[in-house]
Amino acid sequence: MGVGDYIWMGILAVFQGPEAFSLFGIAVSITIVMVLAGFLLGIMVGATPGLAGPMAMAIALPILISAFGFSPDALLPVMGFLIGVMKGATVGGAVPAILFNTPGTPDAYMTTLDGHPMTRAGQAKKALKLAHVSSASGDTFSDIVLILCAPFLAVLVERYLDLPEKAALLILSLGFIASVIGNSVGKGLISMGLGLLAVYIGTGEDFYPRLSLGTQTLAQGFPVATAVLGVLILGEVFKSLEDLWYDARANKPVTEPAQSGDQRLHWADIRRIAPYIARSAVIGTAIGALPGIGSTLAATLGYASGARRHAKRRPDAVQFGKGAPEGIAATEAANSSVSGANLIPVLSLGIPGNAAAVFLILATESIGGFNPGPGVFRFTTESVNPELVAAFGLFTTMMLANAFNWTIGGVFMRVAGVMVRAPKHILLPIVLMLTLTAIYVQEARMSAIWFAIGFGILGYLMRRVGMSPLPFVIAFILGGKLEDTARQAFAATGSDPWFLFTSPVAALFMALAVGFVALSLRRHRKGPQ
Amino acid sequence: MKPARANLYLSLGCVGFALLLAFVWAPMDSGTGLIHKVRRQVSIGDALAPTLAAIMIGAGGVMVFLERRAPDQPGLTRGNLVFLLRFLAIMAVGFALMRWSGPMLVAVLNGDQDYRALRDTAPWKYIGFFIGGTGIIVTLIASTEGRLSLRAVMIAIAATLALIALYDLPFDDLLLPPNGDV
Repeated sequence: MGVGDYIWMGILAVFQGPEAFSLFGIAVSITIVMVLAGFLLGIMVGATPGLAGPMAMAIALPILISAFGFSPDALLPVMGFLIGVMKGATVGGAVPAILFNTPGTPDAYMTTLDGHPMTRAGQAKKALKLAHVSSASGDTFSDIVLILCAPFLAVLVERYLDLPEKAALLILSLGFIASVIGNSVGKGLISMGLGLLAVYIGTGEDFYPRLSLGTQTLAQGFPVATAVLGVLILGEVFKSLEDLWYDARANKPVTEPAQSGDQRLHWADIRRIAPYIARSAVIGTAIGALPGIGSTLAATLGYASGARRHAKRRPDAVQFGKGAPEGIAATEAANSSVSGANLIPVLSLGIPGNAAAVFLILATESIGGFNPGPGVFRFTTESVNPELVAAFGLFTTMMLANAFNWTIGGVFMRVAGVMVRAPKHILLPIVLMLTLTAIYVQEARMSAIWFAIGFGILGYLMRRVGMSPLPFVIAFILGGKLEDTARQAFAATGSDPWFLFTSPVAALFMALAVGFVALSLRRHRKGPQ
Repeated sequence: MKPARANLYLSLGCVGFALLLAFVWAPMDSGTGLIHKVRRQVSIGDALAPTLAAIMIGAGGVMVFLERRAPDQPGLTRGNLVFLLRFLAIMAVGFALMRWSGPMLVAVLNGDQDYRALRDTAPWKYIGFFIGGTGIIVTLIASTEGRLSLRAVMIAIAATLALIALYDLPFDDLLLPPNGDV
């Protein structure tokens, strides 16, 4: 089995998988249908202010698992759907930003700065087309980088890192995430510590389930779905509901300016925005490859970089913030190019970097048979490594979603404009019930709902005190793996208490972890001056 | 509450909780200590990981104290707590309705049978979810709109029916709340 064979088998796994239906005598695989369905749903969700891709992924996951089961055949349709949602939501977020000055997703905020002025000037359709081309370009570029980089990174990790280095790498990732997410490294650490504490309750190697206070309820530990959905989704729903309760502007009528003039996207336009797309795609991909740094920062940096270039090179043209097409291109290419690159740490290291990646990992854990991490990319020659075939299948679904994006994404983006009229105060209670029902059908006990509400309150409080919930969730996902790796490393080094510092690579990772935290603390303390 | 004061309370709370976790909860509620020795083989005990989590929470608390005057640091308000209490009350009543309305209706209308025997039989299996789910949705919508409207009731009913259609009708192996518990 060579590399080419694995790639070909991955492509075949997508196109020749279980048949959904037949079109003119040609079998259409269920994975293709699921990628398309996820992509369209993602556009609609992204275009709806108040909803987000991870919400749709969380709600869809139990339904997908019930529909497809836990067999290896389920992996590609389920993951294809979730990847479709992730990509669709990224594109969809630009729709309300351009049409109604309301970003559908936080990373589309910068799109409002130039997108909405274009709408007010009667150029809404053109602005949407610009956003679509930029977003699809950034996304495709990012996926190509993912496909090229993830296997190499994984092979390097597998070849050069032993157990102590892997434990140190996990600590470095957690330290990095706690440092870079949010406005306070202290709050990031608290969030991470709480996530670790939550995952350690009811677990351990001893017969007695630790930290269970002698109760049967805690002895089973917290189900992953309750903690992740509670903190990430319910916390956000609670916060948004409160904002609506106190915000009379929620019912503000939406108005559309009249549209006029040439709405077509010409080659001249594409040539004009191409340098901005290229620059932002590189920025977004570089940022996306680092776990924990989200697409909002990528959009901001892409926009700022584009604005500097534009002011310097074309001082007489419409400037950023006043309806410049280049502004839309810079933002959309940057925030879209994060989504593919964010999967580099997921697939090569098993470390989720954002909320969407968390749900992709949850899906693989639920289905089984595919454990994201360096072990996936073992290019075995004598026997077939099914995980590697699945990985190339996933890459194929990503490229398929890109193909849908390039061909029909623009049309659906324009249709999705109606979603901005969906009243948030009606949608949110329904999303709340959807999420709680999704949790119950997975766990089949009321205590799971109460755990989820408890974690939702924790997520709400975190948001209210300016603490990001993402370190909590990532620590919850990685906590068990960190403890297992540390236990194995400790045993493998003959119970050496300094096992994290004896090898130069592990010591370097630990020093970097401390360095990131210390630097962030210094940066934040300088704030008031 | 001023951000600096909110951060001070947060930092003190976290340090206090970390001390409690590291010195009371983790050592007293774990099967093995920080280090575990069996037949001269030393391994990591169950209390070590929670203790490290406590150190992280405590260190975070200290850092929040150090950076308590940093800009863009929001804090909790009395309004936030009032919202939480109202919200929790709605949830408690809604889920109590969900849990008990089915068994109560079965007891009243179909006294010779137990709800548990009917929890996979329509329409009984939908009663609790329908009443509780509709109640929660309509109350939350009405709270935001500031009034109870027929439109909110109709939307809540439609949404709950859609949830039943989504989770229960296509799948035999899924149980709607509260049917896994009764």
